[in-house]
Amino acid sequence: MRGLLAIYRKEVATYFRSPIAYYVISVFLLGTGYFFLYNVFMTGIGTMNETFQNMGVLLLTVIPLITMRLFSGEYNARTMELLMTLPLKPWQIVIGKYMGALTMLVLMTAATCINLIPLYLYGNPETTTIASGYIGFLLLGMACLAIGQLFSSLTQNQIIAALITVPVLIGFWFIGHLQSFQSSYLLRSLFGYLSFSQHFADFIRGLIRSEAVVFYLVVSAIALMLNTSYLQWRR
Amino acid sequence: MIALESVSKRYGSKTIIHDVSFTVGTGEIVGFLGPNGAGKTTTMRMIAGYTTPSSGNIRVAGFDMATQNEDAACKIGYVPEIPPLYDVLDVSAYLMFVATVKGVPRRAIRADLDRVITACRLEAVATREIYKLSKGYRQRLGLAQALLGKPEVLLLDEPTAGLDPGQIQETREVIRAFGEKHSVLLSTHILPEVTLICARVAIINHGRLLAIDSPSGLQQASEQTNSVTLDATAPEQPLREALASIEGVNAVSVRTLPGHESLHRVECQVDARDGIEARIARAVAGRWELHRLERQQPTLENIFLRYVGARQLDGARA
Repeated sequence: MRGLLAIYRKEVATYFRSPIAYYVISVFLLGTGYFFLYNVFMTGIGTMNETFQNMGVLLLTVIPLITMRLFSGEYNARTMELLMTLPLKPWQIVIGKYMGALTMLVLMTAATCINLIPLYLYGNPETTTIASGYIGFLLLGMACLAIGQLFSSLTQNQIIAALITVPVLIGFWFIGHLQSFQSSYLLRSLFGYLSFSQHFADFIRGLIRSEAVVFYLVVSAIALMLNTSYLQWRR
Repeated sequence: MIALESVSKRYGSKTIIHDVSFTVGTGEIVGFLGPNGAGKTTTMRMIAGYTTPSSGNIRVAGFDMATQNEDAACKIGYVPEIPPLYDVLDVSAYLMFVATVKGVPRRAIRADLDRVITACRLEAVATREIYKLSKGYRQRLGLAQALLGKPEVLLLDEPTAGLDPGQIQETREVIRAFGEKHSVLLSTHILPEVTLICARVAIINHGRLLAIDSPSGLQQASEQTNSVTLDATAPEQPLREALASIEGVNAVSVRTLPGHESLHRVECQVDARDGIEARIARAVAGRWELHRLERQQPTLENIFLRYVGARQLDGARA
């Protein structure tokens, strides 16, 4: 357990001792702030619904910035040789790193709560809907981080890790659109089920469906398990 | 402490390490010698548990590396060829990280850090970020990291590469002190280093272990084919005959030195026996003029080149 926590602390320290953390958080805040202003002031409706939708898309572009260095950076700096020869099990490395990335996600998400101040000051938003949206956003982020981390473990090159992660995440986001082209019920439901955006849309509407919660958790778990097996196999 | 039993490593159809077996005992420093690309690093990585052998068995500190590599990892200090450092961390934070993962008790961490910082002379940079360190400091930080905890086995992949002579001296002292009570396997292609600190030498090339013995043992083994060189002013044929008749001289080759009609340089292949130079000197100096007589001592370099070169010729022929 101490090993896992040490990895976690190292990851967080690495984010904050390099410009990544500050860059990612400020870009995400700027983007979210812009969408929030646009949605609230242009439409005059005091909700977070539209903003959450935009945050989801913005997240797809920010996730690779957080995850691309997780393993590729270690391979590149030859520090993987240290991690794999220290008394650590591969899953401890994977989970420690994942927790570090999650910390970034939570901080990013928490920072967007600043938008809620004017919303509550001048409007009358539904607290439960907003809470549900945030829960959905965090779950979506967890799945995206796990996928990004998996791809980072497959290549030495951080840029390539990011270049694979982006289209895969965008694919999962838009896969629901394929539904309209399918006549088969099976394919329609499959595409719907795999869609990151359709599950997220339920959360935004204030609906916490166990199916959606399980979906995001299962996607994360599968990606992290593949990640662990890959490290084991690489040995 | 370290025991390799017919270890092989294949990548696809290519075999990198062929059937290597050797042991390193407690209190022993073994040098691992070979040209670049001989398989030193791959063997080190297998012992350290970074990769697993395709066949064969490795035991370190009593643990089987195939099944108990995490238990063994607590006993191993490993310094890869390129020190595995996190550039954005500072020296203390980095060492703290490694010590925590190695399971050094929380209360003992501070003392352990101080111990390795002093041993590796890192006091001046303890609070500096790693990316600001010079190559020598990076190399020594790599060593410091390996000394954390209480390792019983130290694996060093070219630990003195990139250090200046003073730093090399200090690093050797650290290794020697550690090696008094523990096991050290040190890979290098710097030959004097091996003669200076290693009790035994393993020579490896093309993934095959060619020899393992003490430096003096290797020297003795190859003294059989040693040669004595002499310059003498003498008629060629009688000189040749006189030398060939001495007991212990196996072969004589004579050539005339350019510009001197009767000055010859002679190379005698002799047995590894004491006093052979004296007998040759007596035989020559009694009748003719002897200018120079020299016994060529086999240096580790010669031995190494002989092993490595012979194999390379074999390979070329095959």
